[in-house]
Amino acid sequence: MRGLETSRFMRKLLILFIILMPAGQIAIAQDMVDIFGYYETQYMGTALDQEYLALYSNKLRIDMNSDVSDNISFTANFNYITYHGKTQWNILDFLPERVISDIPAEMRGFYILPFDDQNFLDNANVRFAFEHFDLTAGKQQISLGTGYVWNPVDLFNIKDVLDPTYEQPGHNAMRVDIPIGMDYTLSALYSPDDSWKASAKLARFKGRIWRFDYSFVAIEKIWRWHDYSKFDMTRYSFAELPERRRLYGVTTAGELLGLGVWAEYAKNNMEETDDFDAMVIGTDYTFDFQTYVMAEYFHNTIGKSDDSQYDINDWMRLMAGEQKTICRDQVYAYIQHPLTDFIQFGTSGIFSLTDNSLALVPTLNYSYSDNVELMAYFNVNLGADGTAYSQSQGSGGLLRARIYF
Amino acid sequence: MKKVLFTGLLLMLMTTVTQGEELNGEQIIEKVNDLLNIETSQSVSKMTITTTSGKQRTFVFESWSMNSGEKNLIRYLEPRRAKGQATLMLNHSDDIWMFFPRTQRVRKLATHAKKQKMEGSDFSYEDMGSGDAFIDDFISKRLEDEEMMDKECYVLELTRKPDASMSYSRLIMWVTKDNFYPIVIDYYEEDDATRHEKRLVQSDIRVIDGIPTAMKAVMMNKNDNTQTSMEMVDVKYNVELDENMFTERSLKK
Repeated sequence: MRGLETSRFMRKLLILFIILMPAGQIAIAQDMVDIFGYYETQYMGTALDQEYLALYSNKLRIDMNSDVSDNISFTANFNYITYHGKTQWNILDFLPERVISDIPAEMRGFYILPFDDQNFLDNANVRFAFEHFDLTAGKQQISLGTGYVWNPVDLFNIKDVLDPTYEQPGHNAMRVDIPIGMDYTLSALYSPDDSWKASAKLARFKGRIWRFDYSFVAIEKIWRWHDYSKFDMTRYSFAELPERRRLYGVTTAGELLGLGVWAEYAKNNMEETDDFDAMVIGTDYTFDFQTYVMAEYFHNTIGKSDDSQYDINDWMRLMAGEQKTICRDQVYAYIQHPLTDFIQFGTSGIFSLTDNSLALVPTLNYSYSDNVELMAYFNVNLGADGTAYSQSQGSGGLLRARIYF
Repeated sequence: MKKVLFTGLLLMLMTTVTQGEELNGEQIIEKVNDLLNIETSQSVSKMTITTTSGKQRTFVFESWSMNSGEKNLIRYLEPRRAKGQATLMLNHSDDIWMFFPRTQRVRKLATHAKKQKMEGSDFSYEDMGSGDAFIDDFISKRLEDEEMMDKECYVLELTRKPDASMSYSRLIMWVTKDNFYPIVIDYYEEDDATRHEKRLVQSDIRVIDGIPTAMKAVMMNKNDNTQTSMEMVDVKYNVELDENMFTERSLKK
């Protein structure tokens, strides 16, 4: 009997040990790795042609950070996103009849923008901080330029004009930052593709003079844009037009006459198509009564100078994030005022100087508690049919709750 | 011998009293400035914002200061929402950079941003890192002494110099006579020197590393009827700091 009891006791002890051992290991691991992140739930609605279309999404982002030693740190985040509601959007529904009339009926089903569930590892990189330089290897944020909405020198990201501060995906790269004295930094980045020739390369020199930060940037990258008038049935996608793009840019940010000012200029040399220039100039100011105002002007010669020139490629490349704009000249203006310590009200207006269309985006941010943020964006398009921000594209809004942990 | 000792003590006492009475506004504010702007410091602070409805938000941040307040770096530890966000202020907050960890983006802010509320608190960036501003940006005049919070105080009126960048037109400051600590500061609006905007009350003054330090500071906003308290969780003075800490490279760490 005693032997049986001892055996039962040993079994319980073993089970307890098995249960507790991973818990202990997790506790030790948690001491070494900082785990945090957020859960975001979002509802997006659009009123279009007497119909109300809705897309709902849930996003879980789990971040990990660890200082492996004094000069080595590791970071990564895992993202899981689910979409519900209208998860297939036909872009042609938002375009003017003049543009879609040339598209054969049998091709019209290809212009679908799908919202498929996603899970991916992002910003997973290791950083070595040596005495004279930093080396970052892995998937990482590449944030270039000083512009708020548009960054002509950034070949890696395109911001959403309605939500320009939303985080961007990471890019696989190796990057070296070499500080030179207190005020200068030389950076080099290599983002590998299937060959050295196809890989992106970047060099940047950043410095400070008087009250201005400035940088000179040179980037070489294959621009993978598409011809959206031709569908490649063998690859079941639109025809890809890969083309080498070399960008030479300059940026600055500082202060002039009490105003915050920033500017970027980029000269784009294309291997096959026409070269083009892009430029942004911005300014901002905070009044004593805490109201913040900002304006940014964007000029891009790849954009069309008249709305009658917008074609299916312009629209699709814009929607697919292959180019920053379809208009040659645009202005973004933003005003924000704290209604209370925890509620910010703002409105942005995006005006196309090319086609005189306007989109208004009132926003409301509420810090509900230390780690809960509620956001509401509304989007009202006021332009004529066929313009960049036409009423026929519909108007809508977005509600977002984000809980940090 | 007794007579000599007595005379000596009397002379010392008289000298102290005379020095105190003879100190003018500029001399007092210099002593205040020397006291507040230690060569280097490192601290952890807890900031609690309280609204009129009683709602609270709490932030914990670590900060480093160098060159007597000329360079400042603030990095948020809590809440999770703000964790990793950092602010670098150089040239007495004339140059400000903010770092947002989720986008890895550094944004340069112009001088006007100094007026912005730090994380929605009643402290502006200017309040946090203005270094020698009491001397450089204001003319100091001594008013009649008063008792404040049971302490004998010098009272100073600081009037903004015409070309100064500070966003307060006037300050009234109560400085303790025993250690030249400014225990109360009244801030007046930029465009109206008669409109009282904010009051800072500093209390629980302890001597740390030989330096009087307010362990608690409360900023009360008269216009919004809100307040923010700042508690010093940990502080060290004259620590060894590398100048490279106050660069964009360090901001991103």
